[in-house]
Amino acid sequence: MITEFGKIFAFFTTAILFVIIVYIVSKIIRPARPTYEKLTTYECGENPQGSPWVKFNIRFYVIALIFLIFDVEVVLLLPWAMVYKEYGLLGFSIGAIFLILLGLGMAYEWRKGDLEWARPKPVPPVLKKTNLTKIELLPVEENVTP
Amino acid sequence: MENLKTLVDSLYLLKPEIAISCVLVLVIIMDLIMDKNKTFLPYVALTGFIITAFLVVEQYFFKTSITQNLQKLLVIDAVGAFFKLIVILASCLIVYFSLISKEVKEAFDRHGEYYALICGMVIGMFFMISSADLIMIYLSLELVSLSSYVLAGFTKNSLRNSEASLKYFVFGAMSSGIMLFGISIIFGLTGTTNLLAVKSVMAAGGNSLTFLFASILIFAGIGYKISAAPFHFWTPDVYEGAPITITAYLSIASKAAGFALLIRFITLGYVQQIDASGAWQLVAGSIDWKKFFTVISILTMTLGNFAALWQDNIKRMLAYSSIAHAGYLLLGVVVLTNQGLSAVILYFIVYAIMNLGAFLVVMLIANKIGSEEIDDYKGLGYATPFLGVCMAIFLISLTGLPPTAGFIGKLYLFTALIEAKMIPLAVIAIINSVVSLYYYIRVLKHMFLTRPQNEDLVINTSFAEYVIVLVLAVPVILFGIYFTPIVNLAKNSVALFLQ
Amino acid sequence: MTTIPIEYYLVLSAFMFITGVIGVLIRRNAIIVFMCIELMLNSANLSLVTFSSYMGNSIGQVFVFFVMTVAAAEAAIGLAIIIALFRNKMTLNIDEVNIMKW
Repeated sequence: MITEFGKIFAFFTTAILFVIIVYIVSKIIRPARPTYEKLTTYECGENPQGSPWVKFNIRFYVIALIFLIFDVEVVLLLPWAMVYKEYGLLGFSIGAIFLILLGLGMAYEWRKGDLEWARPKPVPPVLKKTNLTKIELLPVEENVTP
Repeated sequence: MENLKTLVDSLYLLKPEIAISCVLVLVIIMDLIMDKNKTFLPYVALTGFIITAFLVVEQYFFKTSITQNLQKLLVIDAVGAFFKLIVILASCLIVYFSLISKEVKEAFDRHGEYYALICGMVIGMFFMISSADLIMIYLSLELVSLSSYVLAGFTKNSLRNSEASLKYFVFGAMSSGIMLFGISIIFGLTGTTNLLAVKSVMAAGGNSLTFLFASILIFAGIGYKISAAPFHFWTPDVYEGAPITITAYLSIASKAAGFALLIRFITLGYVQQIDASGAWQLVAGSIDWKKFFTVISILTMTLGNFAALWQDNIKRMLAYSSIAHAGYLLLGVVVLTNQGLSAVILYFIVYAIMNLGAFLVVMLIANKIGSEEIDDYKGLGYATPFLGVCMAIFLISLTGLPPTAGFIGKLYLFTALIEAKMIPLAVIAIINSVVSLYYYIRVLKHMFLTRPQNEDLVINTSFAEYVIVLVLAVPVILFGIYFTPIVNLAKNSVALFLQ
Repeated sequence: MTTIPIEYYLVLSAFMFITGVIGVLIRRNAIIVFMCIELMLNSANLSLVTFSSYMGNSIGQVFVFFVMTVAAAEAAIGLAIIIALFRNKMTLNIDEVNIMKW
């Protein structure tokens, strides 16, 4: 006789096997005729511009890095916060020294400009005088068939 | 409450560490306040280091042989104080080197960080030298490592720097992870992280294969710091890529701290007692450190020396030579006696002076010709006889030939080996020294026996540079002839140790 | 109600540790190498907490606090080193970081 866990295990096995079998069967019996249009990101509508794998701005990493440091220090502060009252002024000052040092680190970062979110300078749009009567058509690419 | 009181009362034992922490904070605050004018920062650091050095000397004369305090986290004794002294003196010299190094000067706007990180390293090394608890060992090791990762990539606009930094980081983080896993196993086996308590559990029969395995995992972390053979891969790349002041610093201070930690780890965790002849009796059934270190040291020496034969970059060659020297230094630990320990201490004094000197000359030459390739050293001996002769002194001393201090260091190491009846090991070490002669002399050959390629190779040493080179070169000769003081220093340190 | 035996935790911890070591050795992306290093540290954390809880001894948990902060500092420095390297070299592949022989 199978146990309760055994039943659940049987259930999971059946579920997983079912999915796998369905995948394999559909793979075998469906027709596969890929064309260029079918393989583009959006089959109809917009043409994709560039790759989706853009690199994130490196400033995000700097912010993440600073966050990481100050975030984890809480781990050390929490045990202290639980007990410092029992130890009176001495206990408090020990934690205070730690906090002051952390604050010093923060001040250092601030002063060194690592907290600045250096924005790219806005470039005001420049109006160009162009001959509006003539409409330039962008060269249309011919449909490329692979 | 009582615990905290005793803790605060024993803070006087930490005077050097507290002083150096204050220096660190001071350097950072100064850097913040005076944003533009940073010329005085090195002097602040230097003054702080000198004050700390006095506090360390005071610690050396504590008559108590083993003072365990601060919840048994630290041991303060003469051997520890000696290694601290080496670290702090090397730091002073490195600050001085930084003042004349072109490479560091060019990164002028980040000088605040540079000196603050050196202070951070010193704190870490001090704690490493006196730690008696696995938590303390891990934390101090990480403090040293984290600071030195950044320092290795300090002039970050050069590609070689950031590469060195990355490699150092990957190897360092991995070996500290391995060490941490070993510590967690030991904690699981014994229920404590204090080395003395670990030893007593082990002596009571809690010894096993698992314990042996965990000990070796912990050795991985320490071995990486002293660049012993299977964990040495980072050394050549980091030494070549890092700014030369930092290379010199890593090769002396970091190694001194690593050896102190190794000795502490063995004596506190595995040595049952020291008998009358000064031999260390290991806890029954513990890992056979003697065999283990024999293998490691032979491997380290041979690998370091033979790899150095093929190097064209002098920093890389000195890196391999420092691996080989780690092997020689391990010979003093192999014998597990007090004589061996005093030989290690003696060798460290000598090694610090001659290695710093060699790096200093390389730095002065690099300042001028902007290259560290041995081929570019052609004829330098003729063009600047002063630097050439000093380099010759340092290199001959690194080889261990008679009129220099290096010979005395090696002599005492080999004597300790022979007293412990480990003649084959001594023979291997001597053969290694002979091999090392080849690559050191090769540099000298380039400097003296070839004609200079171009005529404007004359390196004008300023007065400050002249003085510091002499300060390092004279003792190398002096201690080679009149070595009683350093021998006595080494013997005294050991006599005050663990009685 | 039975408790989970200690061996389960230890096997999991050992498994995590080995995964981390293998990852450091074979993966080439620097960020993934760092993640594997974190995995190694965390496997040690897991076994420390396990031992600590089974022995009713708080030292292990205190140690874990320290290891966590150290790991965070290590990750931060690692990221900073990667940024510096990336600015110079425009790659995160460790194999391409090879001016000096490995």
